[in-house]
Amino acid sequence: MMIHPRQLVSRRRALKSTAIGFGHLAFSAMLSQEGRAATSKTTTGSPLPHFPARAKRIVFLFMKGGPSHVDTFDPKPLLDRDHLKPPPFDLPAVTFAKQGNLLKSPWKFRQYGQSGLPVSDLFPQVARHVDDLCILRSVHGTNPAHGGALLKLHTGSDQFVRPSLGAWVSYGLGTENHNLPAFVTICPTLAHGGMNNWGAAFLPPSCQGTPIGTASQPAASVQVKNIVNPRIDPALQRRQFDLLAAMNRRDLEATGGDSNLEGRLQSFELAFRMQAVMPEAQDLSLETAATQQLYGVDDPVTENFGRQCLMARRFLERGVRFVQVTHSDSEVQWDQHGDLYRGHTKNAAEVDKPIAGFLTDLKTRGLLDDTLVLWGGEFGRTPTAQGTDGRDHNPHGFTMWMAGGGVKGGFAYGATDDYGYYAVENKMHVNDLHATILHLLGLDHEQLTYRYAGRDFRLTDVAGRVATDILA
Amino acid sequence: MSARVSFLLLCLLAAGPVVAADPPEADPAGLEHFERAVRPLFLQHCAECHDNGKTEGGLSIASGAALLKGGDSGPALVPGQPDQSRLIEAIRYKNRDLQMPPAGHLSAADVQALEKWVAMGAPDPRSAEEVAHPRLTGMTIEAGRAFWSMKPVSRPQIPQVEREDRVQTPVDAFVLQTLEANELAPAPPAGRRTLIRRATFDLTGLPPTVEEVDAFVADESPDAFNRVIERLLASPQYGVRWGRHWLDVARYSDSNGLDENLAFGNAWRYRDYVIDAFNSDKPFDQFLIEQIAGDLLSDANQETRTATGFLVLGAKVLAEPDREKLVMDTIDEQLDTVGKAFLGLTLGCARCHDHKFDPILQSDYYALAAIFKSTKTFGDSNTGAIKHWNEFSLATDAEREALKPVDAAIAEKQKAATSFKTTAMGKLRASARSSAVAYLVAAAGIRPGMSLKDVEPVALERGLHPRILHHCRLHLSYHEDDPLFERWHDLATAGDTDGIERHYRQLFADADAALAEARKADPKAATLTDPGLEAARSALQDPAGFLALPPQPQFAFDATTLAEYHRLSEESRVLESGAADLPSAMSVADGTVVSELPIHIRGNHRNLGTAIKRGVPEVLRAAVQSADFPGDHSGRLELARWMADANHPLTARVYVNRVWRWHFGGGLVGSTENFGQLGDRPSHPELLDWLASEFVRMGWSTRELHRVIMRSSAYQMASRHPEAAIEEAADPENRWLWKFPMQRLEAEQIRDAILAVSGRLDDRLGGKSVPLRNRQFVFDHTSIDHTKYDSLRRAAYLPVIRNNVYTLFEQFDFPDPTMPTGSRSSTTVAPQALLLMNSDLALDSAETFAKTLLDEPVTDEARLLIAYRLALGRLPDAQEIVQARAFLTDAAATGLTRSDAFDSSAVLKAWSLLCQSLFASNEFLYVR
Repeated sequence: MMIHPRQLVSRRRALKSTAIGFGHLAFSAMLSQEGRAATSKTTTGSPLPHFPARAKRIVFLFMKGGPSHVDTFDPKPLLDRDHLKPPPFDLPAVTFAKQGNLLKSPWKFRQYGQSGLPVSDLFPQVARHVDDLCILRSVHGTNPAHGGALLKLHTGSDQFVRPSLGAWVSYGLGTENHNLPAFVTICPTLAHGGMNNWGAAFLPPSCQGTPIGTASQPAASVQVKNIVNPRIDPALQRRQFDLLAAMNRRDLEATGGDSNLEGRLQSFELAFRMQAVMPEAQDLSLETAATQQLYGVDDPVTENFGRQCLMARRFLERGVRFVQVTHSDSEVQWDQHGDLYRGHTKNAAEVDKPIAGFLTDLKTRGLLDDTLVLWGGEFGRTPTAQGTDGRDHNPHGFTMWMAGGGVKGGFAYGATDDYGYYAVENKMHVNDLHATILHLLGLDHEQLTYRYAGRDFRLTDVAGRVATDILA
Repeated sequence: MSARVSFLLLCLLAAGPVVAADPPEADPAGLEHFERAVRPLFLQHCAECHDNGKTEGGLSIASGAALLKGGDSGPALVPGQPDQSRLIEAIRYKNRDLQMPPAGHLSAADVQALEKWVAMGAPDPRSAEEVAHPRLTGMTIEAGRAFWSMKPVSRPQIPQVEREDRVQTPVDAFVLQTLEANELAPAPPAGRRTLIRRATFDLTGLPPTVEEVDAFVADESPDAFNRVIERLLASPQYGVRWGRHWLDVARYSDSNGLDENLAFGNAWRYRDYVIDAFNSDKPFDQFLIEQIAGDLLSDANQETRTATGFLVLGAKVLAEPDREKLVMDTIDEQLDTVGKAFLGLTLGCARCHDHKFDPILQSDYYALAAIFKSTKTFGDSNTGAIKHWNEFSLATDAEREALKPVDAAIAEKQKAATSFKTTAMGKLRASARSSAVAYLVAAAGIRPGMSLKDVEPVALERGLHPRILHHCRLHLSYHEDDPLFERWHDLATAGDTDGIERHYRQLFADADAALAEARKADPKAATLTDPGLEAARSALQDPAGFLALPPQPQFAFDATTLAEYHRLSEESRVLESGAADLPSAMSVADGTVVSELPIHIRGNHRNLGTAIKRGVPEVLRAAVQSADFPGDHSGRLELARWMADANHPLTARVYVNRVWRWHFGGGLVGSTENFGQLGDRPSHPELLDWLASEFVRMGWSTRELHRVIMRSSAYQMASRHPEAAIEEAADPENRWLWKFPMQRLEAEQIRDAILAVSGRLDDRLGGKSVPLRNRQFVFDHTSIDHTKYDSLRRAAYLPVIRNNVYTLFEQFDFPDPTMPTGSRSSTTVAPQALLLMNSDLALDSAETFAKTLLDEPVTDEARLLIAYRLALGRLPDAQEIVQARAFLTDAAATGLTRSDAFDSSAVLKAWSLLCQSLFASNEFLYVR
């Protein structure tokens, strides 16, 4: 039923006005009780989580631009056989660009691990973890353009501004560390949806992702905005905060007490603590040389993404619920309309070692069991050529993979057709992917709703099915 | 017949074809086939979404009757006719827009079983009673006409109240009536300092000056406050503040956002139009008509055409490759905006089905959509895959001519950067080719997975490019089966680098010689006949071969080359950003007029239903007739005039409620964009109707509306009540207005007030302020944010960039500029504190403020008095003076600075910290 108990609605209003956070940060002493209470209920009143969570936290390794599935995790022998022949199947009614003939993969696939799952030579190091990977070979979306596909993947909607996946997770589960945001996105891209991809839309602002830098900045120098006062020492600033607190306490007495005013007084104290906690969480120099090497931080090729992954681990360890890292760059990312060979070679070399190191590290620290790792781009690429040496966008069937938190390892789910153009078996729409992710985190995608402008909204809108076959 | 059953029947009748009550008799063989082959398939593949109460796509498969009735696209079955049955079409998986089950196609045997079943006449033993899931239906048209917001606006009698002394305008009579009925007492009048601060922030978005406060406090005449109101309404800053309110509703932005973030380089003309409209008190009915149909007025001019920018400002999926989808999605955005902004109706909800709660039919949606389908929102040009929105050119031939050299100069700069890059890459490629053998030799000394850090010394020692060598080694391992590199692998394994050197030097020399030879015969010869030599030749030439260059300049070029390339690129970008545009305004025009538009079943433009003629929603037709829609125009003008009709039940109600919300921080109807079933009900229905009717009577004058509201005792009440505990117990949300609601300043007010108090504000009006050329990318894949917010003009003139809203805006609840917002949130989150304590805006302003104070040739105590009066509009008390002086002494003595760049005069620093604390204090941030 869609009608909500009135008191929940007004509680939500109260929360909206006093909020729980660092748009991002859950509130301090006075409000933290309230914050927890609020996150333990959806608007429909079901207790959260809806069922036992398989994963407590999630990290999304986002490969911006669309890595090719037929060159990485979804081998298609028929492409080798029918190289340069016209495709023997119908192309979609709308394609992004003109499609050429079939194009075989420039990389060889080899089998790895107990499971013997094939991985191409682009990912030799990730391949060694194949027995931990749950390879989703039948993901499909709806939008063949970057912007639409990014928004669809991150928010479930390519037409309207809607809360992002991370915001929904924050809304449902809150943060475990009240001095840190529930949702952090490291070096996100500002193109193709920009902040909408980590935005809260109509959810409370505390659910929104906290961006740490942007894709245009080197990971070594990124910071949360305004996290540090560039002009004065923290000791002096402490005195200033004390003066301000005195002013506000006096005002609070003069007005006869007001929860908004009191909340703001608290928010300044939280901000002060944040200034210390956030940089510490980001400080990779506190890691051993061996750990840094594991992520490739010592190598110029892997340094940038390695730093992002290592930072992600530090946030996850500290109770951040949703961490996204983005592999993007100042040129074309994984978007090889041409020059597939050089582009994918370079991209894979930048992320292979950091991802492998990240998986190793999570496992060694016992974090992999209850951390869901998700890897993938906004779509895959066509098995047909664009020009002579590129591939076009393909939202009709592509690969993402998961690892850890409650999914089967060494398992391949679903399939594309013989050439890799369309998902055909156990098709997993982006909505299904979202439903499955929420399920793994203990959330029922049909129950996790928020009423806005007279409607109950869901991440999965009116769709979404949990892929129960992949659950461990 | 029970009421429940007859209701059900009604729903079914309303939903479409009448359904047979019982399934036809079927032969046993047919039923057996159903039980054996069909029912299990339904259970396994369909039931999750189409049975047990689930009716996705409006379809239930729970019975034969339900299948015959079908879903949103029509009947699922035609018994005996598999080829005409949508169910069969769906499972055959041939139509890409209709494929079931969604997880993947059924086996051929399963498809045959279902085809056979349909061919047999779809025998089905399940009774129609299993269809116990009527579709959720909205309000009927009749119920809708009786719904409070759709009833004609009444003109209520002004009530008699006990506290007549408190009645200054009729508003008070209505407010007091409710208070008295609930046994609540209004708060006493606010103090003068509080009141002028409240009214000044309210009408202009700025704090009052010291002189203005003093004058009002000293003015003992009975109309002192009325004169303050008039002074503020006459200020051009009034339009900046109230125009901004409307820009929230109009989802104003300086960039498209969504998928491709192109600059709306001309949106500012619409912004200025809105600000001017408020400053000139343009009647709201006219304001509405101009924004919907200003291009179609008989006296259309630049101003009225600019107004239609309202319809173009939405976020559009500009790179959507499916043109028809793009057009329908854009119309949806326009309808959603028009509905919410002017009518408080969520029209967008009726795109795929009848509105689930309100009396808006899907046919109403397409009747309106036809009007916008007849309207041109997109221009005829594009940038690659990115479509351009429609603009109305205001340029003269001379201006066009004058811009040509500018465009040429930009193109030249862009070309300079590109050709520099190409040339430099070419040189690098040539040098790599001349060292091909050296790369192969060096590659033998490294392992394929070796890090670049380890490759670097090997490369540098031999004068090679580390990244090319790194790639070369990877390439060799990717191509271990390539005959060209077989020898390399053998020799490398044996550690025979001399062998590699000999073999490949010879091979490449032979290939060169063979090519030279071939060219003697044919000067155009490009390939060799010997396969081994041809492989060597083409590998050397292959841009993606073993000598492939790093694709990105920053990895390919040395520091000097890279710096030069960046300099050229930046020069081109800066030139483009700063270049003038041809004057033009975002606007719509009439396009190809379609008199009707088919219903798009489930909103899908490839699944069309009944054609619907242009028109207005049925539920409202009784209250206001619309003119006929002409065959030669889109009908926007008729629609606009219908909306602006004095008898329209929604338009005036929705607008006066907005104005009330902007004064009081909460609407009489809380949900400013939703006056439907799921919206809030009015707290003071009679007051709302009185205001709406009065507003129309006063010629739709917003200014008169301000007067009626602000001259009331209700507006002039204190925000603190002497018996708050009692009133709070009865009405904790202050719904009955027993006190004036304290309100946190909005994002723009905070920034403008900080700048104003520190004397930095530039309050000039109008003009282009977004530092981007029209249609320039705000962000492309580089994610570099070039937008600057360091202008000192009023915040309404700062760029509104979708997808990356200015941090201060974002953190202080600036609305999402893609959807109409009449009621901003007011949150308290820690990043707001970080911004107030650490941002350049706060730090620079505090320092300027402190310098101004220190320049005064007076005592520190006198400086404190000035500071408090400027920032808070009052004098500090003795205790505050003591506290502040103690802080100043203490802070100046610590002398701790982080940066030498900062003027480290300890005294200035201490005063800056004090000033900044005033800006960050609750008394500054909350209007009482």
